[in-house]
Amino acid sequence: MSTPESDPTPEEHESETDFDPAGVFEDPTEMDLRPGADSCYKCSTCDTSCPVAEVDDDFPGPKFQGPEQWRLKQGDDQDIDPSITDCSNCMRCDNACPSSVPLSQMHNTARGEYVEGQAPSLWNAEDSLAEGEYREALTYLRDVPSEVSIEFLRNRVLSNYGTLAGLGSKVPRLANLVMGNRITSWANDRFFGIPSERDFPEFADRTFREWWRERGGPKVEREDKRVAYFHGDYSNYNTPEVAKAMVRVYEHFGYEIRVPTQRCSGTPMFANGMLRDARRAAAVNITNLSEFVDRGYDVIASCTSCSMALRQEYPELFDFEGTREVSIHTYEALEYLRIHEDLEEELGESKADFPDLAYHAPCHARNQGLDRQAIELFGELDSVAVEDVGDSCSGISGTYGWKSEKYEKSMEIGGEMFEHMKDAQGETGLTECPTCAMQMGHGTGYDIRHPLEVLEAALVD
Amino acid sequence: MSVHTSSGTESDTEVVVIGGGSTGCGIARDLAMRGVEVTLVEKGNLTHGTTGRMHGLLHSGARYAVSDQESARECITETRVLEDIASHCVEETGGLFVQLEEDDDAYYEEKLQGCRDCDIPAEELTAEQAREVEPYLTNEAQRAIRVPDGAIDPFRLCVANAADTERHGGRIETHAPVTDLLVEDGEVVGVEIQHESGPGKRVHGKEGETEEIRAEYVVNATGAWAGRIGEMAGLDIEVRPSKGVMVVMNVRQVDTVINRCKPKGDADIVVPHETTCILGTTDEEVSDPEEYPEEQWEVDLMIDELSKLVPLLEDARTIRSYWGVRPLYEPPDTGTTDPTDISRQFFLLDHADRDGVAGMTSIVGGKLTTYRLMAEEISNHVCEQLGVEGECTTAEEPLPGSEDFSVLRDYMEEFGLRSPIGKRSVQRLGSKAEEVLKTGERNPVVCTCEAVTSAELRDAISHAGTDLNATRIRTRASMGNCQGGFCCHRMAAELSPAYDERVVRDSLDELYQERFKGQRHALWGEQLSQAMLNHALHATTMNRDRDPARKEEPGIEYGAFDAGPSPGVSGDGSTRATADGGVRSDGGTPDSGAGRSGKSAKKREGEHGDQ
Ligand SMILES: Cc1cc2nc3c(=O)[nH]c(=O)nc-3n(C[C@H](O)[C@H](O)[C@H](O)COP(=O)(O)OP(=O)(O)OC[C@H]3O[C@@H](n4cnc5c(N)ncnc54)[C@H](O)[C@@H]3O)c2cc1C
Ligand code: SF4
Ligand code: SF4
Repeated sequence: MSTPESDPTPEEHESETDFDPAGVFEDPTEMDLRPGADSCYKCSTCDTSCPVAEVDDDFPGPKFQGPEQWRLKQGDDQDIDPSITDCSNCMRCDNACPSSVPLSQMHNTARGEYVEGQAPSLWNAEDSLAEGEYREALTYLRDVPSEVSIEFLRNRVLSNYGTLAGLGSKVPRLANLVMGNRITSWANDRFFGIPSERDFPEFADRTFREWWRERGGPKVEREDKRVAYFHGDYSNYNTPEVAKAMVRVYEHFGYEIRVPTQRCSGTPMFANGMLRDARRAAAVNITNLSEFVDRGYDVIASCTSCSMALRQEYPELFDFEGTREVSIHTYEALEYLRIHEDLEEELGESKADFPDLAYHAPCHARNQGLDRQAIELFGELDSVAVEDVGDSCSGISGTYGWKSEKYEKSMEIGGEMFEHMKDAQGETGLTECPTCAMQMGHGTGYDIRHPLEVLEAALVD
Repeated sequence: MSVHTSSGTESDTEVVVIGGGSTGCGIARDLAMRGVEVTLVEKGNLTHGTTGRMHGLLHSGARYAVSDQESARECITETRVLEDIASHCVEETGGLFVQLEEDDDAYYEEKLQGCRDCDIPAEELTAEQAREVEPYLTNEAQRAIRVPDGAIDPFRLCVANAADTERHGGRIETHAPVTDLLVEDGEVVGVEIQHESGPGKRVHGKEGETEEIRAEYVVNATGAWAGRIGEMAGLDIEVRPSKGVMVVMNVRQVDTVINRCKPKGDADIVVPHETTCILGTTDEEVSDPEEYPEEQWEVDLMIDELSKLVPLLEDARTIRSYWGVRPLYEPPDTGTTDPTDISRQFFLLDHADRDGVAGMTSIVGGKLTTYRLMAEEISNHVCEQLGVEGECTTAEEPLPGSEDFSVLRDYMEEFGLRSPIGKRSVQRLGSKAEEVLKTGERNPVVCTCEAVTSAELRDAISHAGTDLNATRIRTRASMGNCQGGFCCHRMAAELSPAYDERVVRDSLDELYQERFKGQRHALWGEQLSQAMLNHALHATTMNRDRDPARKEEPGIEYGAFDAGPSPGVSGDGSTRATADGGVRSDGGTPDSGAGRSGKSAKKREGEHGDQ
C-alpha cells in the first residue's frame, strides 16, 4: 500500500513494494488482491475503528470485507458479499491497520466487482448507446429488474455529481428552486432513494472556472513557485468562495497558479463501485495533471478527498502513464503552504475578524496525516478560537449519507460530532471536506467554512 | 458381536482392515458395499499417516506421461471417476506444465506426446496465454501445456469413505492401534487393538481398553508402516519410506496447478488447495516413517525453486510446513538406489502365496489419486478368498456429500450466510449442506479465516467426539492464517455442554499444540507476527504462559532453554511427525528454526519499522 509521505522521492516510492497489482491487471475489477491478505494477522483493530460497524450490527466490518473476503476467493468467482455496498469508504480502517493491509484498495476493488456483477446489463446498455446501437441497448435493459436499475441509477447519479452539477449550474436559480422543492424531495425519496431530510447543496451563480476565466487566469507568473490547482467539482459548482480563497492566499505568497482541465477526482465513484466511471475520469485527470507535473508544477487540492484520490487511490487502482508521478506531487492546499511558507509567523501578527470555530477533521484528512493541521496552525491566531470536536466520523462519507436507506445510520454516526460541535464555543464549523461540511451544517444548522477562507481573512486584505 | 472378558473385549467380523488412510478407507467402503462385514482400525484419527500429509494433487497423469505411462493412464481414468463420485472433495483447477528458458525443448515435446499417448487432454499455450490463465506466472515462461490436473482434499475424501462404510454396516475404530496380530496354526485370524479411550467416538480422559477382533481375513493397509504389522506375524515387507516436504502458503497465488516441465526433480509443483497454495516437494529415503529430521533447508528450497515459476512466492507469507513419507515398495532384489526411480505402482502381497502365512494380504505403494482402483483390486482379491460374489460399484456410486448438488445459491436467503462463507461451506459440505446448515438456530462463524460456522462444527463433532483435530480435518477450522489463534478456543467451546470442562481443556490443548507444531518452520515475517500475537492473546486471556516453575509434573528442562541446540546436531530436531498432534512421547526439544532469518530481518525492517 502506498500512502505517500509528505515528500517521498520518486525512487523511495518505487522501491516500496514489488507487488503492484495495478501493473499486472488491466482492469481494476479483475484485480487479484488475495496476496494483500498476507499482511493481516486478524488483530481486528480495523473493526474497532469502523464507524459503520459501530452503528450497524449487520455490517460485518472491514476485516471481513477486506482480507478475509479476498482470501476466500477462488479463481474468478464472483461472490462478493452485498454488504460491501454498506461500507462508506471513509477509509478509517485503512489508516488504523497496524500491518499495512491494503484495505481501501480491497474495498474499492471488491465494490467495483460487485457492482459490475450486479448490473452488467446496464453497463452494456450504456456501451451500446455510446456506439449508437439503440436496439441492442434496449435488449440489455429488458433483463434488469427495476429495483436494481433504480438503485444503480441513483448511485450513478450521486457518483457523477459533476455531471448533474454541470447541468444545474447552467440554470442555477431554476435548479435551486426545483431541488429545494418539497415535492421534488418527496419524489426523490420515494422513487430514487434520496432522503427528503437532506437539502441539496445550492449551486453558485457563477462557477469558479467562469470566475477564473473572466479574471484572465493567473495574476502571478513565476518559474520557481508554481502549482496546478485541482479544485474538484464541489468548489467549482457550489463553493467557489473556497477556490477563490485558495487563489488569493497562494498569490499572496507569490505562487503561479494554473487550473488544468479536470473531471471529478473519482471519490464518489469509488464509494459506489462505479469503477468504469472512475477510470474514465482518472484518465483525463492524470493525463492533464501529469503534463503540469512534468513541467515542474506541484498539484494542490482544496478538498481532502480529492487529494486522497490522486495520492492513494489512483496508484492503487490504475496504471496510466504518469499515475505515480501525479501521486507523488500532489498535496493538500494547507499542507503545502505549511511545508513551504512560514505561516505561523504571519498568522501570529494577524488580527483577523472571523467567528470562533468548531473544527472537524475529515476521515480522509486523517489518512493523509493532516487531521491536526488546522488546529495546530490556527492556534497561532489569537483573534479566533478554534476547537477540535474530536476524532469521530461525520457520518456522511461523501454519498453514503445521501441514500435513504443509509440516512439514519449516517446521522447516528454523526451524532457524536454534532454533540461536540454544540459543546464547542464557536458556532461556526470548520472543515476541509465539502461533504463533511454538508453534514455538519445539516446536523447543527451552523455555517461551515474552509481553512483556506480563514487564511484568506487573516492574510489577504 | 462383542463380549466382555476380564482382559478386555472380544468381537468378530468378516474382514479387518488396518489403516485409516485413503487405501484403508477405500477398501473398507468397497467391501461394505459388497455386503461384507468389515471393521476398519486406525491408530490415530483418519488420515493420520501419509494421506494427511500428501500434496493434494489429483493427478491427470501428465506427471507420469513420460516415465510411467501405465500409471498415467490409470490416473486420468481415476481422475474422471473422482470428479464424479467425490465432487465435494475435488476442485477441477486444471494444471499447467510450464517450460522455463533453461528447460529442455525435447522433454517438453516428449511430455506433450506422452500425454497424447495416454489420452490425457493436453493443450499447448503460448507464454501470453499461460499468463492470461495465471497472471502471477513468471514472465520468463516460454510456453506451457494445459492438462486436467486437479486438487483433492484427502481429509474429506477419507471421512466420506468411512461414513459410507458405516452406512453400509461397517465399523470404524480410530485411536485404536493394532498391537498384535492373532496368529493360530500359521494363519492370521484377527488383531488385537488398544482403544485409547474405549471403543466408539474418542472422548478425552475416558479409560482405554484392549479388544481382540477375530476375523476371517485381515488387510494390512498401513502404508509406510506395513512392515511393522508384518513383523507381528514374522513377515518381512520391504517398504522403503521416502520423505517429502510441503510448504503451505497463506493465500492462493495461483488457481491452477503449476508444474515445472522438466524431468523429475525437487520443488517443481504448486497446488492450489482450498484457500491456500501448497509447494512441494522432495523425495528422500528415510529409515523410519515416524522419526526423521524435518529440516529448514528443505523449506527454503521449496520457496527458492518455486519462486522461479511464481515470483510472488519469494516474499509471500508461509503459514506452515509438513512432511510426509511415501510408502514405496520394492520387490526383493530390485536394488534401486534413487528413491525417485522406485515405481509408483502399488503391490498386492498375499502372504499365503508369498510367505505361506494365510489370512492376510498387505497392500503397499500407489498414490492417492488411484486409491479407488487399488481398493477395487484388493476387494476383488479378498472376496475371492472369502467366496463372496459382490460386484464393485464404487466407480458409480457417489460418496456421501457428492450426490447431486450445486454451489450456486442465494446463501443469505437459504442459510443466512454471507456469500463467501456460504459458498465455502457448501463447497465443503456438498449435498449435506442443507441438512447441516439449515438448523433454524443462530449460526455464527467460528473460524473466520476458513469461513466455518458453528453448525458445521457441531455436525463434525457429532462424528469426531472430543478429538478437535478430527473436527479440524472435516471442516478446515483453524487451518487458515491465524492457525487457530483466534478460533481454537471457540471450537473447543462447541464441545460444551456435552462434555465437561476438563475434557474440553484437554481437547483444546491438543489442537493448539498441533497447530503450533506445523508453524515452527514458518516463523519469520508475517507468520512470526501472527504467532506472537496468538501467544500474547492466549497468554493474557487463557493463562497459557502459566508459570512453568509452579508446574509439578513433569519438571522443566532448563538446560534445553539455556544451552541452545547442541553443536553438531543443528537442524536435526527430530520430532514425531503426526498429523493430529497425537500425544508427544519423545520429550524432544523444538527445532531451533533458525533458517531464513536473514530474510525475516529484512522484512521486519521494511514493514514494521523497529517494532
Ligand atoms: C510428500 C508426498 C506427497 C504426495 N502427493 C500426492 C499427490 O499429490 N497425489 C497423490 O495422488 N498421491 C500423493 N502422494 C501419495 C499418497 O499420499 C499416498 O500414496 C497415500 O496417501 C497412501 O495412503 P495409504 O492409506 O496407503 O497410507 P497412509 O495414509 O499412510 O495410511 C496408513 C495408516 O495406517 C495407520 N497405521 C499404522 N500403523 C498402524 C497400527 N499399528 N494400527 C492401526 N493403524 C496403523 C497409520 O496411522 C495410517 O493412518 C504423496 C505422498 C507423499 C509422501
Ligand atoms: S472504509 Fe470506513 S466504513 Fe468502510 S469498512 Fe473501512 S472503516 Fe468501515
Ligand atoms: S487491522 Fe489490519 S491486521 Fe488487523 S485485522 Fe484489520 S486488516 Fe487485519
